[in-house]
Amino acid sequence: MQINNVQGMVLKGIKQIIMLILLIYLVFPFIWLVSISFKSTAEILTGGIHVIPKDFYFDHYRSILNDSNLIQSVFNSLVVSIFSMTITVMIALPAAYSLVRFKTNIKNAVLGWILASQIFPAILVIIPLYMVLRYLHLTDSIFGLTMVYVVWELPFVLWMLYGYIKNIPLELEEAAFIDGATKLQYVYRILFPVIMPAIGATAIFAFIISWNEFLFALVLMKNPENVTLPVQLSRFTGMEGQARIGLLAAASCLATIPSLILFTFIRKGFKSGLMTGSVKV
Amino acid sequence: MIYLIFDSLIDFSRSRETSDKIRFVSLAWQEQLIEANREMVAQWNKANPDSEVEYIQSSWSSIYDYLITSFETDGVPDIFHYESTIIVDFANRGYLTDLAPFIEEEMKNDIVDVAWASVTQPSGEINGIPFLMESWVGLYNKDIFERNNIEPPTIEKPWTWEKVMEIGVQLNHDTDQDGRIDQWGIGMGLRNSANLIMNHSISFGGSFFTKENGKYVVRVGDEEKALLNSIMKMYQELKCMAPESIGKSGTEIIPGFMRGRYSMVIGIGAAMRQQLVENAPEGFNWGVMPPLVSKTQKTGINTQTYSIPKKSKKQKDAFDFIRFAFNTENMAKLARSDWMLPARKSCFELPPFNTANDGWEIVTKSVDHLTVGPWLGTPGYSEWKGRVANPILQELYAGRFSVDEAAERIEIESNLVLSRYQRNK
Amino acid sequence: MNQHSLKKSQEFSQLKILLPILIPIILFSLLPLGRGIYLGFTDYTLGSSIKFNGIENYFQLFKDHYFWKSFRVGIVWTIAVSLGQLILGMGLALLLHSRIKFFSIYSVLIIIPWAMPPIIRGIVWRQIYDPDSGILNSVLMQMNIIVNPINWLSSFEHVIPAVIVAGIWGGVPQTTIFLLAGLKNISTGVYDAAKMDGAGIWTEFTRITVPLLKPTLAAVLSLNFLWNFNSFGLVWVLTQGGPGGLTRLPMLAAYEEAFRYGYVGYAAAIGNVMIIILSVVLYFYLRIQFKEQVKT
Repeated sequence: MQINNVQGMVLKGIKQIIMLILLIYLVFPFIWLVSISFKSTAEILTGGIHVIPKDFYFDHYRSILNDSNLIQSVFNSLVVSIFSMTITVMIALPAAYSLVRFKTNIKNAVLGWILASQIFPAILVIIPLYMVLRYLHLTDSIFGLTMVYVVWELPFVLWMLYGYIKNIPLELEEAAFIDGATKLQYVYRILFPVIMPAIGATAIFAFIISWNEFLFALVLMKNPENVTLPVQLSRFTGMEGQARIGLLAAASCLATIPSLILFTFIRKGFKSGLMTGSVKV
Repeated sequence: MIYLIFDSLIDFSRSRETSDKIRFVSLAWQEQLIEANREMVAQWNKANPDSEVEYIQSSWSSIYDYLITSFETDGVPDIFHYESTIIVDFANRGYLTDLAPFIEEEMKNDIVDVAWASVTQPSGEINGIPFLMESWVGLYNKDIFERNNIEPPTIEKPWTWEKVMEIGVQLNHDTDQDGRIDQWGIGMGLRNSANLIMNHSISFGGSFFTKENGKYVVRVGDEEKALLNSIMKMYQELKCMAPESIGKSGTEIIPGFMRGRYSMVIGIGAAMRQQLVENAPEGFNWGVMPPLVSKTQKTGINTQTYSIPKKSKKQKDAFDFIRFAFNTENMAKLARSDWMLPARKSCFELPPFNTANDGWEIVTKSVDHLTVGPWLGTPGYSEWKGRVANPILQELYAGRFSVDEAAERIEIESNLVLSRYQRNK
Repeated sequence: MNQHSLKKSQEFSQLKILLPILIPIILFSLLPLGRGIYLGFTDYTLGSSIKFNGIENYFQLFKDHYFWKSFRVGIVWTIAVSLGQLILGMGLALLLHSRIKFFSIYSVLIIIPWAMPPIIRGIVWRQIYDPDSGILNSVLMQMNIIVNPINWLSSFEHVIPAVIVAGIWGGVPQTTIFLLAGLKNISTGVYDAAKMDGAGIWTEFTRITVPLLKPTLAAVLSLNFLWNFNSFGLVWVLTQGGPGGLTRLPMLAAYEEAFRYGYVGYAAAIGNVMIIILSVVLYFYLRIQFKEQVKT
C-alpha cells in the first residue's frame, strides 16, 4: 500500500541517520588519529580542524620504521598474541568439550572459576604473580608472558566454546564413535572442522585480548627490548608525548590495524548469527 | 602438535637472554641526546672491550615502575639515569649503592657544591652522581616587549614578582577587538605545580618542611603562603595570567607561548628552550629572563643523576663508566643536548654555556642562585608531592578554597602522610 | 554401571583432559590469587619484610578518606559508563538487526574502538581533548559555542563527563556484538505473531524484545559492570587520576599505593575489599534477574 511505502522509506531514512550519528561517535576519533599521523608537528600544534592535512607529512611513519624499539615491540606483541591465541584455543577445545558432555562437580567448579576470574582485580594478582614468575625464572620472558595470557584468557575462551559446542547435535558424536574414534580424536578430527567458524571467532577474541593487554605486560616485562606494543606506546605518554604527538599517532594507527584486519574475517559470522551459541549459558 | 608450539616459543624466548655487559639505562628522548649517548657508549666500548656497556633506553613515564620491580628481584640495571628527589626514596629503602667511596678529588671539586648537596644524605651517603642541573628561568616574547617599549630584565637588573605582575597587567591585550583578551601577560605551567612551588618559595623564605622534635613536619606559615598568594593575585585579582595555565604543565604551556598567546612565561625550566628552538614558527623572537626576586633570588635545585643499585654485580666497572661519561667534555655534550646546565664548573667555560645565545648566559649565571630545599632527605617527599601537594594546589587554583584554607589542609594531610613514614622506621 | 561409578569414570576422563591446563591455571591464576588475598592481611611494604597484621589494614582503610573517595569515583564511573554502553549498544544492535543497508560496512566500522588497545584509546581521546591542538575545542570555538578553550582533562567541572564519554566509547563495540547475538536468538515467529496482533514498534520492544533478551542483558550488564569497575589503562593515560583525585578509579588508587608509594599490603587490602563489594553487588543483581526469569 502506498502509505506503507512512504512510512517504510521514512523509517529507513531515520535508521540510517541515527546509524550515521552513532558511527561518527565511534569512528571519527580513529579518522582523526590517521589524519594527525600525516600532519607535521607544527601543523598539529596549531589545532586546525582540517581532516585532510595541508601537506602530507610522512616523516612520522618513517621515524617509526627507524625506531628499532618500536618495531621490536610490534614483533613481541605479534609473537605473544599469536602464540597465546593458538595455545589457548587448542587447550580450550577439548576442555570445553568435556565440560559440555560430562556433568560433574569439576564442571561446576570450572564454571565458577570462569565467573569469579572476571571479578578479581588484576592489581591484586600482579605482585604475587610476579613473584611466582620470578621463582620460575620466567619474568621478562616472552614465554612467561604468553603462558600468563593463556591462563587469563582461558575463562572467556572456554565460555565461548562451551556455548558453541553445546549446540552441536549428539548424532555427530555418536556417528564418530560408531566408527571407532576415541573422544580426543573426535574433538580434533571432527568437531574442530565443524565449528571452524566459531573457533575462528574465539581465536580472534583471544588474539585481541592479548594484543590489547597492558598491565601484566607492563609489570612482567622489564627489559625495554621485551615489552609489547601497548607498553611501548605508553612510554610516550609523558612529557615526550607532547613533543612527538605525530609519531605517537602514527604508531597508534599501526597498533590498531591487526585487530581490524582480523575482525573483517569474522564479520561474516554476524550475519549467520554465529555468536548466538556463546550467549546461551 | 602442541609440543611443537611450546618448543618454538621457548626457543624464541631463550634467545633473548641478557648478556654479561654493564647495563646502562638512560632516559634520553631527544634525538640529539640519544645520539650523544650512543657515541659515548661506542667510544667506551672500543676502549674497554672487557667491560662493555649495553645501552638501554627507557622513558620518564615508565622508569619508575621498571626500577621498582627490578629492585625487588635481581634484574637490576647497573647504571640508571634518574632524578635527585626520587632517588632519595630509593636510597632510604636500601636499594642504592653509596657512591661516596668511589668519588675522587677531581670530581668532588669540579662538580658544583649545590649539585652535590642535592644527592647527599645527612649521613654523608651519596645516592647518585649529578650531571644535569635544572634551573628555573622565565621566557619573554621579544617582539611584544619591543612593541610596548619594555626593557627586559637582565642578570644585573632582575625583576621582582611585583614588577612581573605590573608588566603582566600592562601586556594584556585584546588584539582582535572582540571584547575578549587573547594575548595575556603571563602564562605558567601549574598543572602539577608542587615542584615549582617548593623550589620558588625558597626565595620568599618559605621552606614548608622543618624538623620538630627530631621528626619532619610540614608547616605552612606566611612565608610559605607568600608565593601562593602572588599566584592567586595574578590569576584572580589582577587577571594577568592566562586561565588555561592552571591546567597545563610547563611543557604544554610552550606551544601557546609560541603562538603569541602569552608575552611571558615564568617559573619554567631552562630545558624548555629546546622546544622553542626546534618548533617555533619562523620569525619568532624570544628571550630568557633571570629568576625572579623576592626576599632573595634563590630557587631550589633538582638534578639529574646516574646511580648504581646495590644489587648490581659490577659496581666498580659501572662507576668507571660513569667517570668517563661525566668527564668535562662528555658532560658538556650531554647538557648541551638536553638544554640544561652541566654540573661541572669546568663545563661553564665551554660553549654554548659561556655564550649569550639562546639565553645560555642567564641560565649559566643562575647557578649562583641555586640552593637545596630543606626537604631533601625527608622520607616520603615524593608521596607527599603526589598525594597532598599537587591535588590541594589544583583545588586551590580552581578556586575551591582560599590560600589560608589550603594551608591548613596541607598541614593536616602532610603530617598524616609523613607520620606513616616515620612510624615504619 | 550404576550412576555413581559412571560419574566417577566421567570425572576421571575429564580430569585427564583438563590436567595439562590445570597446572598453569593453578600456578598463574589460583596461586597468585590466593597469595594476593593473603597479602591483604599483611603490612608488606616494598623494601622491607612481610609481616602478618590481621585486619589492621582494613581499620585503616575504613578511616581512609582517600580510599572512599576513589570508591565513590569508581561507582559513579561504572554506572555511568555501563549505562551509556548499554543504551548505545542496544541502539546499534537494534539497527544492525533490522536488516539495515550497508550492514557489512557498518559491522566493520563499529569495531574500531575495540580494535584499539585501551592505552591507545587514551592517547586518541587525550589528543581530542587537548585544549590547544585538540579537535573538540577547535570545533566548539569555530561554532562559537565556547569562547575560551576548555581544558577538559584538567578542569574540575569538565573532567568527569569527558572521561566518561571516552570510557563509553571503548565498550560499545563488544556490547553491541553481544546484544546483537542475543537478538538473533529471538525467533522471528514471535514478532510475526505480535505484528498480527497489531503491536507497534515501541510495544514490540518493551513487551517482547526486552523480556526475551533478559539473560543476554544480564550477562552483558554484569560483565560490563565488572570490567568497567576494574578499568585502568584508559583513565590512567587520560588523567592519572587527577585533577585533585576526581578521576582516581579504585584500580588507579590501588596501583598508586602499590607501585608509587610501595604499600603493597595495603593495596592488596583494597583489592580484597573490592572483590567483596563486587561479589555482593553481582550476587544481588543476578538473584533479581533469576527471580524474574522464573516468574516469566
